[in-house]
Amino acid sequence: MKKVNIRRLATGVPGLDAILGGGLPEFSFNLISGAPGSGKTTLAHQIMFSLASREGPALFFTVLGEPPLKMLRYQQQFSFFDMDKINESIHFINLSDSFIAGNFDHVLSRITKEVEAASPDLVFVDSFRSVMLDVQHQTRNMLSQQQFIQQLGIQLSCWQATTFLIGEYFSENDPHPVFTVADGLLSLSQNVHRNSMVRKMQILKMRGQSTRPGMHTFRITSDGIEVYPAALIRDDSSLSRASGGLERSKERLTMGVPRLDDMLGGGLPSGYSLLVAGPSGSGKTILATAFLVEGIRCGEPGVIVAFEQTPSQSWNPTIDTMVRAGQIGLINIRSLDLSMDEIVQNMISLIHKMKAVRVVIDSLSGFELSVAPSFREDFRESLLRMVAVLARLGVTVLMTSELEDRFSDLRFSPDGSAFLTDAIIVQRYIEIESCLQRVMSVVKVRDSAHSHEIRRFNITGDGIVIGDRILGYEGLLAGQPTKKNVTNPVS
Amino acid sequence: MSTTNNSFCREAIRRTMAHHAGVSPDADAIAEATFIIWNLVEGKLAPVIGMKGVDVLFRRSMHLTTFSFPWLASAEVHTDNASLFASIKARLASGETDASTEAGCTFLLILTELLTTLIGESLTWRLLGTVWKFPSPNSEQENVS
Repeated sequence: MKKVNIRRLATGVPGLDAILGGGLPEFSFNLISGAPGSGKTTLAHQIMFSLASREGPALFFTVLGEPPLKMLRYQQQFSFFDMDKINESIHFINLSDSFIAGNFDHVLSRITKEVEAASPDLVFVDSFRSVMLDVQHQTRNMLSQQQFIQQLGIQLSCWQATTFLIGEYFSENDPHPVFTVADGLLSLSQNVHRNSMVRKMQILKMRGQSTRPGMHTFRITSDGIEVYPAALIRDDSSLSRASGGLERSKERLTMGVPRLDDMLGGGLPSGYSLLVAGPSGSGKTILATAFLVEGIRCGEPGVIVAFEQTPSQSWNPTIDTMVRAGQIGLINIRSLDLSMDEIVQNMISLIHKMKAVRVVIDSLSGFELSVAPSFREDFRESLLRMVAVLARLGVTVLMTSELEDRFSDLRFSPDGSAFLTDAIIVQRYIEIESCLQRVMSVVKVRDSAHSHEIRRFNITGDGIVIGDRILGYEGLLAGQPTKKNVTNPVS
Repeated sequence: MSTTNNSFCREAIRRTMAHHAGVSPDADAIAEATFIIWNLVEGKLAPVIGMKGVDVLFRRSMHLTTFSFPWLASAEVHTDNASLFASIKARLASGETDASTEAGCTFLLILTELLTTLIGESLTWRLLGTVWKFPSPNSEQENVS
């Protein structure tokens, strides 16, 4: 005897199926809850317009919530609102008259009547909370809330309809009967912090399938809702070579800067994440640009996520030209209210689209500023998740980090995130004979021999030119080196 | 609503009125036809936006219509729509046929325009399209010939 095979419906909301654990179970009884303005009705409409068809129509019952005229007025601003589906595969039915005239029995019998007449695949009841509140004030309601919900759930599931109750305030401390009856609970929230607003979605419950835990950010645009599933760090330890699990290639990528490959021990190992840290103007972006140019030369497409400069503002038009030629993908971020997951999702999409091998993030400092203030507290953790996700994609990542020169200590990142990366190059300014000079050193290449020298370098019209090791001076990292021996000039 | 669509809508309403009022109607027939059409409109809108919403649309449309046809306005205060309907129907029935026809058509046009400003032209026609008797595509040619 075969077990029941529950079909999962693709919701049509980007990112939602992933956090639901593969889509929405057919014939499930779901609750969409959240404060006013959190996007409940928009989410319901987007799902409805995506799934409704002539063969599987949808009924959208409006009760006592948002007035239907207003709902129709505003919802048609979204691109998913397909006018051709109205009264064809989507039917709006207002129940406020039935409700005002009677009680729960009337509402239930009206819904039942309409469902039996239309045999819909999808049923939406908006707004459920207002029904509940109103009924609390009725003294002679024939059905209790719980009975109503249970009967509605049974009725609609048996009538083979996937159902959504759209509610308002449901707190976790409020043991509402619908929590027990519902197969799925989708909770939406919005938080304003300083000048940024962050929307989040959580799947509190989805019977019979493993959902992605935690809060997931989402955005509402003219195309509707897009969910950015929080990146997961997966345990790869059990993945064997035979099963095609993660195994880093032994190949190395050339950096596009003469002598730097030697300093790294033969290039940057493929799949590694490299942090280039240095003060403003030290040449981090130039190094990153050279890395991408070299990738194009080697047939390795790249993606750059720029948080500070626009391509036309960069040191030369190289990046701009490559972007225009479609050789590299660009994500240019100027917003200050993003979530890490939104950026990561955009990055992943572009990496897939470009079939990118090399990824540049310029810079982590700009990245941190671009995320909404509420995410900055967890920036290091989010960074760890991002690096893990990129590692699973197999791309080689170069990240720059603005680092104020501190000559009292040796630091590689402002927030102590350097340990997340596989390799580190540090750039610094030093003063020699009243001249500001740049030096560079490879601090770390995981599981690889590498140079430990501090090399002088210049930025010329041809890019970065790495010179020799500075001999005869000590205290280079203190910024003001002193000659060890007069007979040993600077080489 | 664009000028072209407005004249198309006006023509559709006129044809609908003529269809329900019959041949050579008098003012009484026009009043009857206006409310037959209104009932059809109500039947289309009420399931979607509820009777309360429909009632408000009726009152607002009638209020705007009385600017052009002051004789439709009633000095009485009608708390329920049923008595307002009855009052307006009686006024339409007692007017000149041409004036009543113009007033009835204007009321229906204003109602359509009001709905258009709220939910857009496409959705308005989507909901009310079956109520109207549209001019046939060849009618212009027919008129010319």
